[in-house]
Amino acid sequence: MSYKERSIWVSLAITIYIWFNYFSTLYRSAQQEILTTSIMQSALLTVVIMTIVLEIFHHIVIAIIDNKNANYDEDERDKQIALLGTQNAYYILSFTTIAAVLHLLFPFMSQRLESLLNLPNEYVIINIIIFGALVAEIVKFATQVFYYRRGF
Amino acid sequence: MSKKITNNIRRLRFDNDEMTQQMLADEVGVSRQTIVAIEKDKYSPSLEVAFKIAEYFNVPLNVIFQYK
Repeated sequence: MSYKERSIWVSLAITIYIWFNYFSTLYRSAQQEILTTSIMQSALLTVVIMTIVLEIFHHIVIAIIDNKNANYDEDERDKQIALLGTQNAYYILSFTTIAAVLHLLFPFMSQRLESLLNLPNEYVIINIIIFGALVAEIVKFATQVFYYRRGF
Repeated sequence: MSKKITNNIRRLRFDNDEMTQQMLADEVGVSRQTIVAIEKDKYSPSLEVAFKIAEYFNVPLNVIFQYK
């Protein structure tokens, strides 16, 4: 497994772990009907802090384990694989944009979501965008891992 | 049947004092995994990398890569 592929696997795991925590916090709070904007803001702050800390830790650990390739620079194949990942993520983000706009224009379409979250409308939109961005990120990493595994 | 790009880099490496994939990768400026992918015909390199490989082995491009 190349340095780059190993790094992508770890980033994928970190992303899933952090955002699973975020959405499970939101879901639990919503179930207990204690979800407020301050809980959401603190969950978001936790995400930001954990992302920074875990990503720094991840790069340090990988560089120690594979110190020979720590300064590895992407080659043309890495760049093409990254591009394919970004392309797939773009489709998801485009869909998310449409979903957010539809939510704004036709709020009745997502009434159930609003009643579940019990948050002001703008916070529901924020969560739609965050969820879309998360799925896009996972798709990006998964696409890259797929092409590294299958060969490209 | 569709045509595809094949190559004989593996044989050229063998003929060149059993050069390793890592050595070739370092010479042409790509990762060892990229050389592996090229040798298995899973990845077609850019013209620049193809020319670098040909230049390194000192053979014309069509001796290394075939489209068939």
